[in-house]
Amino acid sequence: MEIKIDDVTKTYGDVTALDDVSFDVERGSTFGLLGTNGAGKTTLIKLLVGLDRPDDGRIRIGETDVATAGRTVRELVGYLPQRIGFPSKLTGREVLRFTARTRRIPKAKWQERVPDVLDTVGLAGAADRNIGGYSGGMRRRLGLATAILNRPPVLILDEPTAGLDPEGVAEYHHVIEEITDRTDSTVLFSSHVLSEVESLCDSVAVLHGGELRASGTVEGLTESVGSGVTVRMRVDDVGTAATIARRHGDVSTSDDSVVVELAEASVSDLIGDINETVDVAGVDVERPGLETIFHDAVEIGDIGEVPA
Amino acid sequence: MTAAELLEDEDGVSAGETVFEASEGNGTIVDSGRRTAALVLNEYRLAVRSRWAAALTAIFALFSLLILTFSGASVGPAGFERIVASLVNLAVYLLPLAALVFGYDAVVGHEDSGWLDVLFALPISRSQVVIGTFIGRGIVLVGATAIGFGVSLPFLVRDFGASVIPTFGFFVFAAIGVALAFFAIAVLVSSVVSEKVYALGGVLLVWVWFTLIHDLLALGFVAAFDLPSGAIVSMIVSNPADVFRVLALSRLEVGGGAGFAAVIAQTDLSMNTLLASLGAWIVLPTALAAVLIRRRRL
Repeated sequence: MEIKIDDVTKTYGDVTALDDVSFDVERGSTFGLLGTNGAGKTTLIKLLVGLDRPDDGRIRIGETDVATAGRTVRELVGYLPQRIGFPSKLTGREVLRFTARTRRIPKAKWQERVPDVLDTVGLAGAADRNIGGYSGGMRRRLGLATAILNRPPVLILDEPTAGLDPEGVAEYHHVIEEITDRTDSTVLFSSHVLSEVESLCDSVAVLHGGELRASGTVEGLTESVGSGVTVRMRVDDVGTAATIARRHGDVSTSDDSVVVELAEASVSDLIGDINETVDVAGVDVERPGLETIFHDAVEIGDIGEVPA
Repeated sequence: MTAAELLEDEDGVSAGETVFEASEGNGTIVDSGRRTAALVLNEYRLAVRSRWAAALTAIFALFSLLILTFSGASVGPAGFERIVASLVNLAVYLLPLAALVFGYDAVVGHEDSGWLDVLFALPISRSQVVIGTFIGRGIVLVGATAIGFGVSLPFLVRDFGASVIPTFGFFVFAAIGVALAFFAIAVLVSSVVSEKVYALGGVLLVWVWFTLIHDLLALGFVAAFDLPSGAIVSMIVSNPADVFRVLALSRLEVGGGAGFAAVIAQTDLSMNTLLASLGAWIVLPTALAAVLIRRRRL
């Protein structure tokens, strides 16, 4: 089920949380919503799940207009809030049973599905323990379990790995990858961990100060910020190496290194030319990735939209 | 089972489609009732497990038995009525305080823990969250009040005979009513404030107003001005604690209280008016909370 966000604006008093934001999320894709703190990610997610209404613009999930659908939209969406908590006196299984009842999953089905979901998120062994004894990671996994319990066509996760240890993050990624690789579910999640988004997402949007600074596929955006690479060479004669390097691209130097920005096709020529004249202790080649996209979007400004 | 298998149905149909189809009946009264019932059960379970039920029952039973023991009642109808009057005078302070403290975190406490975010993310309306919370916790409060004060009944029957049951039963009924009224006010406060500490401060101010200041002001007005009966009636029905007092004492021959209660006896308040006003004190704050929670920002 696709998501369409058209010209959405949201203000709180004098603060513009979202300013004329538009982008689409394709059905079955994994979409990363990137931005620094206060960029507007959580505001947008709350609008997406119908917890708030835009001042202007429209959001559709499939054919459903979120602003007018009311709670119906939450039938379609499995949502994991950024701040999640459960009553400490309930068990994980009880929370899922409660979720199933409120989501109108027939009893025969939830009796079957609750153990399966607990198993999937790795909480089968702790299902009948009070949540008061759960770690932060276990609570977030329980949150994911509540979100996927009714097989929603759209999963929206607000910073799902915040506060998790590396093992917990890896487990979480595994579950998300399982969902996105083998089902038609659309997954949208917010994060400010670039590596996480780069490894999981097909497409991204970068928000900054409530404005959409970039959106599109990761590859498309990477190409849009340039096809060049950055080569860092540690050499014994920086001056000579810099002179040679200037024939290939833009050069900057430090005490023991020459940094050259040039077209990717010229990298081997550069390394060959310098290697003939000076001793090269090491070479690093950096291609532009999500970090570059994010940096350009936040620091420089709008880098545009790249169609999927 | 893998996450992907979970999200596929038996025929390998993509995630969500089955649920979406099943949701076509969404919005019916039965459907809404089932969801509210799930919330009620959850709140009831939480209130029982957090030992509120046991604590409230124990407090009410303790004070009820203390009054029974130390009221110095003589045998006979006057003795029984004196005990009930003493219970009314105790309950008019104790029940509002207990109900307000029991309810102040009903909504804002869930926000503090992050549970409200989860509830609001489910396909249930915010009004249902308030109503489910009110009913679920309310059942615990009703049970605690009935059992806590009802524990005196066997001793009263032993000392005064079975004829006291209707009068004492009516006292317990009125006690349940006033407890629910103040609990509804607490839920309203809890639904509109942003932090637990404000909610606690708010409900304590409510208690001070209704159990201390309101009565004193009303008595002052009655003493200072020659008020018509309608004005006195308005003063009574504008305070659920006074409504309870009048209701509970209306079945007794002896006056249970001094001050404003004595003035009340001179009005022509009907039983129906009193019951209706107590009912309104339960329903209106809850309804207002159910509406105002829609404006709540998480």
